[in-house]
Amino acid sequence: MILSKEQRHIAFTLFVVALVTVSMLVWVASITKEPIAQAQRATLHNNIKQVLPEHSNDPVNDMFVYPLSEGKEVQVFPAKNKQGDVIAYAWEQIAPDGYSGTIRILMGVRLTGEVVAIRITSHKETPGLGDGITKDTTWLSSFIDKTLNNTKWAVKKDGGDFDQFTGATITPRAVVKAVRQGLLFYKNSQADLLKRVYATAQAKSMTNEGAK
Amino acid sequence: MASTDTMTNKQDIFTDGFWHHNAVFAQLLGMCPLLGVTTSAENGFWMGLATLLVLVGSNLIVSLVRGFIPDEVRIPAYIVIIASLVTVVELSMNAWMHEMYLILGLFIPLIVVNCAILGRAEAFASKNNVIDSLVDALGMGLGFTFALLLLGGVRELFGQGELFGFDVFGANYPDMLLFVLPPGAFIALGFILAGVNLINMKRKAKQEAELAQSKAEVSG
Repeated sequence: MILSKEQRHIAFTLFVVALVTVSMLVWVASITKEPIAQAQRATLHNNIKQVLPEHSNDPVNDMFVYPLSEGKEVQVFPAKNKQGDVIAYAWEQIAPDGYSGTIRILMGVRLTGEVVAIRITSHKETPGLGDGITKDTTWLSSFIDKTLNNTKWAVKKDGGDFDQFTGATITPRAVVKAVRQGLLFYKNSQADLLKRVYATAQAKSMTNEGAK
Repeated sequence: MASTDTMTNKQDIFTDGFWHHNAVFAQLLGMCPLLGVTTSAENGFWMGLATLLVLVGSNLIVSLVRGFIPDEVRIPAYIVIIASLVTVVELSMNAWMHEMYLILGLFIPLIVVNCAILGRAEAFASKNNVIDSLVDALGMGLGFTFALLLLGGVRELFGQGELFGFDVFGANYPDMLLFVLPPGAFIALGFILAGVNLINMKRKAKQEAELAQSKAEVSG
């Protein structure tokens, strides 16, 4: 097939436009890569700090991946005291049954099984109704120090201990259910988690030694 | 003489974009970001600024390359240019304004399909010089920002009793959720459009009265 002069000109112009814009994008992507990673780390750090008690380590640095059933896995962030003993864990629990889509909850749990605090990291709930789960600090703090045994894990409408919101029951119900599942997960994998922490710490110190 | 002429010309281009052909008030373009993000004044403002940046960039580039792009492929070429600019804005926001990015994230890529931007590239920047195109982009972009800010402010004020996050009506204000929800966006926009039409009608009536008066003076 032979292209006319005009057609070649058109193709060439589009080629140049694409080439120039793509090179510009590659350049911008390269200079924003590091700041974006930093901003994401800062957000993660900040969120994790809020759901863990006072600690002396860097939970993000000590993070390890814990395998769940069905090939899924979860990132666990351990908090340690000065002596290097684990005092709490933070991880992300996912509530798949929000009013509109998935709600991601970052929860911190003490070694003894009490909730330290929870934060909502992402959701698509209705503004002004379901999104109270991110804004209502009284409601968020109603999770503090709750354990599997000292609490009825349901909203008040279902006979439990947690408030629902006016006009929004499904959202808090999903969050309560997810946090309870998180506590169950902790109860069942407590011993395993502890093993992992020290395995990770050992592996890290080994590589550090090796580097020296 | 010539200099004052171009001066008023620039002014005309600006006010044309800002008011008479305002993307929102006059043309009802860009409704998706408009209704989607304007739950608060701050969100509206930043979305407006992001759009302004893309608009200035696209008008600038399109008017620079207008002589080189064959008519047959101008639309795809403009779209590629606009989409790249949007990606640049998105990446930069993600890097340096991360918190705002987390709120607006979903709507930033949608700037690509904001017909106000392609509309300006096609209707203005492809036919005018760089300076005029920049003025046009500034007028249009600021007009769009103003509209988003206004709608966001109204919705935040009535929906939550706040403005830019500051309490206005006091703690006892019963939040009118309707204004934060999507239907509230349409209702608030309807009232704002009615207000804009009222202003335009009054101005037109005044102009006509003045015109009639000057005619009467001439004939008298």
